[in-house]
Amino acid sequence: MSTPELVTVTIDGRRAEVAKGTGLVETALQAGVEIPVFCYEPRLGPPIGACRMCLVEIEGMPKLQAGCTLTAQDGMAVRTAATSEKAAEGQNATLEFILVNHPLDCPVCDKGGECPLQDLTFRYGPGNTRMIFPKRTFEKPIPISPTIALDRERCILCYRCTRFSESVAGDGQLVARNRGAQSAIATFEDEPYRAPFSGNVIELCPVGALTSTQYRFEARPWEIQNVPTVCAMCPVGCNVSATTREGKVKRIVSRNHPEVDEGWLCDKGRFAHSHLRAEDRITEPLLRVRRRGFSPIGWDQALDEAERLLRGAGSRIVTALSGSETVEGAYGLARLLRGGLGAHSAVLPEEAGHALDAYRLPLSAIRDAELVVVVGDDPVSERAPIVDLWIRAAQRGGAELVTAGPSGTLLAAPGSAAQVCRDLAAPGSEVGRRLRESARAILIWSGQGGQGGAHLAALARALGFDGKEGCGAFHLPATPNGRGVAAAWAAASDEEAENPEPISLLIVSGDEAASDPNVRALAERAEAVLAITMFHALAVGWADLVLPATSYLERDGTTMNLEGRLQRLRRAVMPPAPDELAWLSQLAERFGIALPPYPALVFEELSPVAFGGLAFGEVGERAALPPRAEAAPLPPLESAPPPPTSDGHYLQLLRYRPLFSGAAVERVPELQFQRPPREVELSADDAERRRISSGDEVSVRSNGTSTALRARLDRRLAPGVVRIAEEHAGDLHALVEVVKA
Amino acid sequence: MSPQPFGSIKGFGVTFKQIFKKPITQQYPEYKRPLYPRFRGRHRLWRHEDGLEKCVGCSLCAAACPADCIRVVAAENTAEHRVSAGERYARIYEINLSRCIFCGYCELACPFDAITLGNEFELSEYSRDDLIYTKDMLLAPPIKRVPVADRELYDTPIPFYKTGS
Repeated sequence: MSTPELVTVTIDGRRAEVAKGTGLVETALQAGVEIPVFCYEPRLGPPIGACRMCLVEIEGMPKLQAGCTLTAQDGMAVRTAATSEKAAEGQNATLEFILVNHPLDCPVCDKGGECPLQDLTFRYGPGNTRMIFPKRTFEKPIPISPTIALDRERCILCYRCTRFSESVAGDGQLVARNRGAQSAIATFEDEPYRAPFSGNVIELCPVGALTSTQYRFEARPWEIQNVPTVCAMCPVGCNVSATTREGKVKRIVSRNHPEVDEGWLCDKGRFAHSHLRAEDRITEPLLRVRRRGFSPIGWDQALDEAERLLRGAGSRIVTALSGSETVEGAYGLARLLRGGLGAHSAVLPEEAGHALDAYRLPLSAIRDAELVVVVGDDPVSERAPIVDLWIRAAQRGGAELVTAGPSGTLLAAPGSAAQVCRDLAAPGSEVGRRLRESARAILIWSGQGGQGGAHLAALARALGFDGKEGCGAFHLPATPNGRGVAAAWAAASDEEAENPEPISLLIVSGDEAASDPNVRALAERAEAVLAITMFHALAVGWADLVLPATSYLERDGTTMNLEGRLQRLRRAVMPPAPDELAWLSQLAERFGIALPPYPALVFEELSPVAFGGLAFGEVGERAALPPRAEAAPLPPLESAPPPPTSDGHYLQLLRYRPLFSGAAVERVPELQFQRPPREVELSADDAERRRISSGDEVSVRSNGTSTALRARLDRRLAPGVVRIAEEHAGDLHALVEVVKA
Repeated sequence: MSPQPFGSIKGFGVTFKQIFKKPITQQYPEYKRPLYPRFRGRHRLWRHEDGLEKCVGCSLCAAACPADCIRVVAAENTAEHRVSAGERYARIYEINLSRCIFCGYCELACPFDAITLGNEFELSEYSRDDLIYTKDMLLAPPIKRVPVADRELYDTPIPFYKTGS
């Protein structure tokens, strides 16, 4: 790319040199002048000039201009409200006009105190109003979804929310109804706003028209603390601030990291925090006394019990990790078990690896790509939702998206992503040829398997991505911190793991592991189970000793996202029980292992082994991405045997883990509407053959088990495949028959 | 002897003269001095005439408070449980009077005239906990007697601005 032409603009007598085409608001900012705005938000696409707050006087133009819609031109002389009386009067009048129908309920409004309309009125607006007629009233608040409340009286029609819904998230559900003075924000057909990114409109709203029902009347801006931390609900690791008041997390707001999330959050990350105060939260250690009953015990006794279990089992321990632990927590566990007991065997829900570090790019690079190829069975938005927004941004910029999967543009059978990779690398492939030729191509693996990115790394190497700056590859793991946990586990010892048989003790670390059916199956073979979990329901029936776990908002430490970026978690609130590292350090002492209870010291110990000696303090509030690694030899690729395919009568079952699932989401009442309905997705061909139409009740059967679901036709789904969310698929086998009930 | 031998006698003379004057000591609590109308004592929360609380739980008083002694936790009014006139009301309203400096900023900040400072000043308790006044206590009319409540029993001194000095 050539360097853009520089132009000189004068703003309030100050000169600014910017690239031609830069927006006037940014140009003014560079000159140290503020042009106030409501509707202008560059992340939402082109400016629309709806609010008229940005009025400026421009030399040579007879009327005031909306500054946000203009771009810097050479020799432009701009005068803002600071120097131009005309502009000041215009902004004053604009604010008076906006406030004509805006209710004066700031003391009641949740936005009060952090409201751009309040702030700008204070600085640019009239001190009083000439409006003597009754203001317009609407019914309020209108719940446009269980998480968002709409107050039309307060709305100033800046169209930020509808622009987000239409162009950024692409759901198009939030619309402006009617015209002119009758315009009102509404959801399409007054249906609930059910979209994975709906919560962002709350943060975008410059007034209190869209507010969070969860945060409604909970706190005011001067009563809160914002703790900068990272969301650990999915592998993206969005930067967030946890708003706390009186020792409780009240809301999660974004903390724009331009390379990771660009200030957007999904609803899971934004609203799921209330699981911290779930009713069945475990706050003290529990010991199984009778067959299914627990009795609470003190911490001394709990550590005694844990020591007895560990000593009894020796090295015949298997640890089921969740991949949601902090790096330090996982290392502490590994130091105790591997160093103290020689128990090297651990299972992670998914293989994690560093094969893709040679093709590392920030997530924001997806936006600049010209060709994005997604392989794998799962939709990107269910695995790593923000990546979906980056892909949409790329598409808006003209990029082509190729999805190779069971419902993609290139149809591929479920479980065949490795084969798709080999096909793309083959010389005859058309998409492969374009990937080779492109300077800005992105590969994304979204699905099971993939060996932590090794399959994709092999494809990237075959396509000649080495040395191409703009080309990269991402593996979307299922676990938030799988890479960090795997690295921490490996850092504690070099010894090879051997799978003990029989298993004396199964240690279940975290909620994801505790709700994993594979771990449950492992527990069948174990003599005793020690569960570290947050919720009662996950411990009942199988654990012998339960130690309370903590959530990511209650821990200090580090976590590694899917890019390989190490980010800092900060403790927002105190956990109801000591955190993992605190009791691990006490327990380790009994085995003669010195393990500090502080994440900073633990990180210091493991950093030279795992992270090249990075200091804890250097992780920073907006973590940097480490540079690309040297291309290393890839681990041997293993191909899982292809799953049985459909024979026409029996259909291949494709399970996916929905974004809105898991122990935390189940405990948030506001998010229940986002969870997947009891549906089975069928391709049009298969449905027609079985005379099933959308909405029909069907019975999905396989060997001996059956489940009743509602049918939904998906025209993009490959024939011979049915898709069911993990939580509704239950015990169904790989091949199912679908019969109209 | 001191250089001024009559100095001590002169000084004692002033003392002896006072013996025959009317004492200015006021025997509190038997005698209670009345308060000026704008005296700032214990806070009071007010209701509208229809019985709804004026306070909407906006926390502006807590923001204005320099001693950080006010705690407000708001909640939403519902049709079945309507406490205040607006959308929200103060579910918890507490003033820690052991921290309060009676500056009256809360009264100034209140957009609904829901809180005022009254005349009550006899607030000592045996426990600090008892000095945390809850919403019920603040909404109730003053329980303890204050001089102004019964003007006829006590003489009212002429305010200083009327004495002309």
